[in-house]
Amino acid sequence: MVKVQLNDVEKRYGPTVALAPTNLSVTEGEFLTLLGPSGSGKTTLLNIVSGMTEPTGGEVWIDGVDVTNVPSAKRGLGMVFQSYALMPHMTIFQNIAFPLQIRGLPREEIRRKVEDVLELVQLPHVAGRKPKELSGGQQQRIALARCIVYDPSIILMDEPLGALDKKLREQMQLEIKRLQVQLGITMLYVTHDQEEAMTMSDRIILMNNGSAEQIGTPNELYFQPNSSFVADFIGQSNLLDATVAGEDRVRLVNGEIITVRHDAPLSHGQSVKVLLRPEVLHLREIDAGGNRLDATIRGSVISGSTVKHFLELDGGTSVLVEELSNGTNAAPAPGDRVTISWSVGQARVLPA
Amino acid sequence: MTQRRFKTAYFVIPAVVFMIAVYALPLAGVALQSVTDADGGSWSLAGYRDIFSSTLFYKVAWSTFTISLLSTTVSLSLAFPLAYFLSKQRPKVRAVLMIFVLVPFWTSVLVKAFAFTILLGQSGIINDALAFFGLGPLPLLFNKAGVIVGMSHFLIPFMVFPILTSLMAQPPELRRAASIMGAGRLRIFFRITLPLCLPGIMTGTLLVLILSLGFFVVPALLGGRQDMMLSNLVDFYTRETLNWQAASTLAVILFSFAMIVAYTLARVPGGSSLLGGQDR
Ligand SMILES: Nc1ncnc2c1ncn2[C@@H]1O[C@H](COP(=O)(O)OP(=O)(O)OP(=O)(O)O)[C@@H](O)[C@H]1O
Ligand SMILES: [Mg+2]
Repeated sequence: MVKVQLNDVEKRYGPTVALAPTNLSVTEGEFLTLLGPSGSGKTTLLNIVSGMTEPTGGEVWIDGVDVTNVPSAKRGLGMVFQSYALMPHMTIFQNIAFPLQIRGLPREEIRRKVEDVLELVQLPHVAGRKPKELSGGQQQRIALARCIVYDPSIILMDEPLGALDKKLREQMQLEIKRLQVQLGITMLYVTHDQEEAMTMSDRIILMNNGSAEQIGTPNELYFQPNSSFVADFIGQSNLLDATVAGEDRVRLVNGEIITVRHDAPLSHGQSVKVLLRPEVLHLREIDAGGNRLDATIRGSVISGSTVKHFLELDGGTSVLVEELSNGTNAAPAPGDRVTISWSVGQARVLPA
Repeated sequence: MTQRRFKTAYFVIPAVVFMIAVYALPLAGVALQSVTDADGGSWSLAGYRDIFSSTLFYKVAWSTFTISLLSTTVSLSLAFPLAYFLSKQRPKVRAVLMIFVLVPFWTSVLVKAFAFTILLGQSGIINDALAFFGLGPLPLLFNKAGVIVGMSHFLIPFMVFPILTSLMAQPPELRRAASIMGAGRLRIFFRITLPLCLPGIMTGTLLVLILSLGFFVVPALLGGRQDMMLSNLVDFYTRETLNWQAASTLAVILFSFAMIVAYTLARVPGGSSLLGGQDR
């Protein structure tokens, strides 16, 4: 069932296009993430759904109703803010009870619901405290509890974990995901952290310059990016300039010819980018099929579980190779000549 | 107190010396004078006995109290909507509008009192205008109305500033969050905006109430004989009857009165910020 449907919504501020006409549907129980660099229109899109920003065009439908001209208060949504937006003068209990009071629930039911939800976010003992008496992570959970408690048709979150340190952020990602799955919450989530998006999302909308660059599952975005922007934004990537030199073949700037995989037909002489993920590359020859390039080692870094090798192809292009470290990796020295290779089909052609 | 915190105490020494010299010492002198007999000799509570047995004192104390309360109420009810309106404006517009709040603040209270006699008098602008429509004249001068108009005009900025400050300090997300949860404007105002602004209201109220307790020029120029306030009575004793003991006694009573008001307001919810406490 479709929870939220956007039809050609757009937002302009004078000549600035904050959001180009965008279509989108969020299905029930789905965790959908708006991912993208700063200024790409994520908040704009989220606020159009919440009703805090009025679109300059298009329609917003929630639960099958056109809410384009309905104010926020009547849209039946939940939202978690980066600043938590807990009421400082109310206790945690009062904060969570607030949306229930608005809905006119009887006292006893409010008490029960607040207690249940506090149990759910694993903070049953803080009911009597004021928000400033909780840690950032705890406040975040209360902000989430305050949404969950009234069962809104969708919960919106705008960079909710931005104010937390890395460790707590990872913990909260799992916590939010657990609650989302357990309660079947429909979630529209904003982040500019691609790892966070990959960890939590069922689908990701990658935004760029006010429009959706690609919409898909984390896997699709990672393994089948349809532009070099997506490939570059999601994970690490080597993007090599090339020109089409025949069916399945491209010529790199240094003249080498390699075999590639592609979705769209290629025309001879066309400029393209070749995507090679660092982890599909090997520092030895694994395939005699011609997917190999000669390079020079410029440096290597061991970062825990992986080793990163910084290479320079003949002709000057830099390439990153990432291998699992097993403690016995033969460490090449800077200046060593090596051959990198990959299995056929791992090199993807993208439009330049 | 840590060493470091104590060290910064040097910075307040000039202010402390100044306050002791021009405020604490004279005040102590006044207090002393109120408990010594008229010839400046032995201890005596005669001053207090005389004051508390004079009907004039009760009349003046009562009118001081009512005038202060009324002008505080008038200031609050005019200043709050004003501050609320200002808080909703864009910064540039607000800066311009603030000038209108500040002009009366920058004008001498004496000048304003004279201006009000022109405005409010029997043949003043207001009554002339009313006469044009065949109305009036309204008695606006040399009575309580005149005093309260004059005082409120002076006091409103003192009320606007703390209220505006506390309204502006409220993160806009709080109201947005409430709105998304489904709260209407009235509920947002009464459950969020107003309670969070209470410390500002308290500060403004206290400031204005205490300022009004000590008003002198406005009741003297715009009030009638009935509208004498305690400061005017102090003036009367020092200049007309040269009764310094009575004047000192009155001053001490007025001072204590102001202290009690401050203390009481600080007990009210939202008022603890007045004594440096953290309310939220
Ligand atoms: N009120 C406004 N007036 C003019 N331009 C605006 C306004 N709000 C946003 N914009 C512009 O719209 C674009 C998208 O902004 P938006 O806040 O949606 O970005 P974002 O993806 O949320 O970025 P961030 O990750 O930094 O939060 C930006 O170029 C921004 O400058
Ligand atoms: Mg944003």
